Amino acid sequence: MKFSRRDLLVWGAGAAAGLAVTPVPWKLLDDTAKWSQNWGWIPQPARGPVEVKQSACTLCPNGCGVRVRMAGGWPVGVAGVATHPVTYGALCPLAFGAHQLNWHPERLKVVRHRGAVASWEDARSVFAKACGSGRVVVIDGYPGRAASQVLSNFAEKHGEYRVVRGAETRALSPFEEWTGVPAAALGYDLENARTVVSFGAPLLDGWGAPGRFTRLWAEKAAGQDDPQLRVIQIEPSLSRTATNAYQWISTRPGSESALASGIARVLLEEKLVTARGPMPELTLEYAASQTELKTDAIRELARTIAAQGPVVAIARDENPAVAALNVVLGAIGNRGGIVRRSSSATSQLIADASIGAARVVVLDSSVPWNFEPATDAEVFRFAAWNGGPTKSDWLLPAPGFLEELTDVPSAPTSGVETYGIAPALTKALHKTQSCAEFLASFDSSLDSAEKIVHGRCTELFRARRGTIQSHDAVAVAKIESAQKAEEQLTSGAVWIGEPASGGSIRCALKQWPAADASSPLELSGSWPAAVMPALATKLYQESGLRESGRNA
Amino acid sequence: MSARYGMVIDLDRCTGCGSCMVACGAENNVPALPQATARTGLTPMLVRRVSNGLDGNLRREAFIPILCMQCEHETPCVHVCPQQAVEVDKATGIVMQMPQRCLGCRYCMTACPYHARYFNWWDPAWPAGMEKSLNPGVASRMRGVVEKCNLCHGRLHGAQEKAAAAGKREVDLADYVPACVEACPTGAIRFGNLADQNDPVAQEIHSRNTFRLLEKIGTEPKIYYKSNQAWVRKMAEPIGESGSPVRATENSQRISEVQHV
Amino acid sequence: MRRYAVMFGLGFVVALIAGWVAFPHALYVKKAQPLEFRHKTHAEKSGVAECSECHVLHDDGTFAGLPAMEKCASCHSDKLGESKAEATLVDTYIKPGHETPWLVYAQQPANVWFSHAIHVKRAGLKCENCHGQYGKSDQVKVYEVNRISGYSRDVWGHSMSRLRRAPGDGMKMLDCEGCHRARHVEVGCLGCHK
Repeated sequence: MKFSRRDLLVWGAGAAAGLAVTPVPWKLLDDTAKWSQNWGWIPQPARGPVEVKQSACTLCPNGCGVRVRMAGGWPVGVAGVATHPVTYGALCPLAFGAHQLNWHPERLKVVRHRGAVASWEDARSVFAKACGSGRVVVIDGYPGRAASQVLSNFAEKHGEYRVVRGAETRALSPFEEWTGVPAAALGYDLENARTVVSFGAPLLDGWGAPGRFTRLWAEKAAGQDDPQLRVIQIEPSLSRTATNAYQWISTRPGSESALASGIARVLLEEKLVTARGPMPELTLEYAASQTELKTDAIRELARTIAAQGPVVAIARDENPAVAALNVVLGAIGNRGGIVRRSSSATSQLIADASIGAARVVVLDSSVPWNFEPATDAEVFRFAAWNGGPTKSDWLLPAPGFLEELTDVPSAPTSGVETYGIAPALTKALHKTQSCAEFLASFDSSLDSAEKIVHGRCTELFRARRGTIQSHDAVAVAKIESAQKAEEQLTSGAVWIGEPASGGSIRCALKQWPAADASSPLELSGSWPAAVMPALATKLYQESGLRESGRNA
Repeated sequence: MSARYGMVIDLDRCTGCGSCMVACGAENNVPALPQATARTGLTPMLVRRVSNGLDGNLRREAFIPILCMQCEHETPCVHVCPQQAVEVDKATGIVMQMPQRCLGCRYCMTACPYHARYFNWWDPAWPAGMEKSLNPGVASRMRGVVEKCNLCHGRLHGAQEKAAAAGKREVDLADYVPACVEACPTGAIRFGNLADQNDPVAQEIHSRNTFRLLEKIGTEPKIYYKSNQAWVRKMAEPIGESGSPVRATENSQRISEVQHV
Repeated sequence: MRRYAVMFGLGFVVALIAGWVAFPHALYVKKAQPLEFRHKTHAEKSGVAECSECHVLHDDGTFAGLPAMEKCASCHSDKLGESKAEATLVDTYIKPGHETPWLVYAQQPANVWFSHAIHVKRAGLKCENCHGQYGKSDQVKVYEVNRISGYSRDVWGHSMSRLRRAPGDGMKMLDCEGCHRARHVEVGCLGCHK
């Protein structure tokens, strides 16, 4: 008989039965399952050894120490440094997602000239020409670094160097006139304060080096009925600091100056303080009407404030009345109050709305995105991330998170002088250049930032002051060489000066500051990165924890 | 000796900053997708905000970090899972969720009394290149499965390896620090072995003012909370003695009414 | 009827041959390692007597299954001999500073966590228990990759039926479970998975 279709079917049945007793179906199942796990578009973490390196977060001028886990040469996790003398190992929520910032969709990858893609060569030639034909103003948002020195050295020759101050530094600025000490040299000795009166400053939610006060408060006040550290929060609405404070005083927005003046009046009239400060002109009744508090309530508040000293008052932003309150409280130059951190800082020109006539304005990447200089000059803005529409003519991609070596001067509100070095931990993802490098490339007589860091370590070693803290604190006097000191600082140790080593402060305030409108509640902080880490959006978008647009 | 890892979370120290949420997301390779919302997001650690129910200047808020409660008794999610994708580890007490075994029926999400389980509605995806920043200690998941807090098992692995290399049997708690514990700036989240009588956390669970959420349903969670404020403690048991809801209407101990005009 | 039996039988036999002979042949493809590394040479000539001298178990418990290039470079920064393999090592990898792209026989999926520290130090297992007598070999083992799954043949094991296997032949989850069961060591899912 010829081979028929039936034969084929029977043959097929035999083949199927035969296949069932071969590895084919079972192996194919197993293999396709594994194949489906390894498709190229499925994101997989790197394989290989994990190292832990130390550096400092450079996203804001507080320079909190960070421990970064690295895999395959890239950062995969961030944690604090427990032995850090300012942060005590705590960080702000944004730090924990910061290692992903360099791949943020809004990362600036190319040079842009008024929106259109341009090249570094274009920028350089335009800058070189402009520089030769007029005044250059260089604006720095993170003064005190070695890079700041480069900016300042360049600006000295070609124009002017100015700084943008964060709110915390602005709050200290009234003291400059009264004491002759630059705000950059002042700090708060919070470790020894027993009462802190905050006029809207978010002490427990991002003020200063965020970990510092939260740690102190956690140890000395949290959950305690009679805390060693009393936080009195004066703020219109219930913020995180307010709900956790020893006492929350809700006042009408904009009435902080009046309240500070009213409290000072009560302190002086009732002799609740030993210091003799100038008496405010305004009356208690006026303060009451401005704040919508009863006069008795203001008296009661003043008594509470004076009850447990040392006391220090912290304003959210520049507020002369709150600053003057510190004079009355005896906080200037005393333990637990406002101290002089160092003797070496010098006064700096502030960048604000009016910077005078200029041909070119250069903004370092540390300048907050929402700072727009009011000028007709050509503006070169260095930034690592694009924050949206801007008036700057040129956008120049700067190194991102931990892509560049930098040094870390004292945190703006710290009571002790500190110095650290934040090494680069990853290689640059794009063709970037920092403002300092860019400017230095036009003038070969200028020292590079690396050279200045090296010089600072040598100076530090020679001065034989202070200690270098990594796991243990070692006196600088006991360190063998400048090179050893620099090595230690580069691997995460921090130099700490003696407390209040800047010396005493004499306050020459004779008259209570004029009653002007309170500092506006503008939310310009010192967070310069124009974007938030991706994971931080969970706090706003994937939970009810924080509402965006409000500092809550 | 088997361990029973648990926590005491001091709500008086929690400032609601959210560091624990961000650190948890980073450690566990959780994506932050633009289309995610509070209902559809993936937050193995989620901090919730509660208030004392009063208005104006008498209002106070507290923040409650919610993570998998690591139920010890009749663990609801383990009971209902058709895939045996979750089980209570005998050696550590951790309720272990295996997303690779899960088929995404979400029965466990319904069963969990603490709403501590989250579903991958979308493929986890990161902007180009950001996968380089993923933590190698935790495997990635796919869409369509449920995930939750595993008490940072990736860190437990590291601690176990280290103990083995040093010739020790017991994991050193200095090496096993979950991401949220490490991140908390105030030290509000305290982690320890509840089976070890010498562990400070094991002792703290017996202290005054320590409570668990929904104690009456008897799941025996290993995550304890602590607060010196009565109104916060009352919120843990919304059903009172009479069976009706308890409202927190009393003042925090320290609020005095500041007289307003 | 007899005709049907014959046809059925023919189909059956063809399937058996296809499944047991042709299928493994087609499924696996041999791939060459970047260079011909000889364990025996290193053990004899250079006094590297212990596996752990190159396959280092660090203090923190992590294990260098594949020694990093620094390890090789610590002896081979320049050519020590005449072999082609060493020339490849020095010229293609050490001098330019690239890691040698070894093909890993025991490569496991990304969600697997295996700790050498626990198995070697705590359980006292010898390398040979799972990896066979590879340390004494004078030839680099043939690497066969599964075309579909992408893993080495060593994971399923050389025996397609997985019967009568040599120790160490086969590194599937079943094999791990088998050993754990035999030694009464219970671990939960997350004990071996990430």
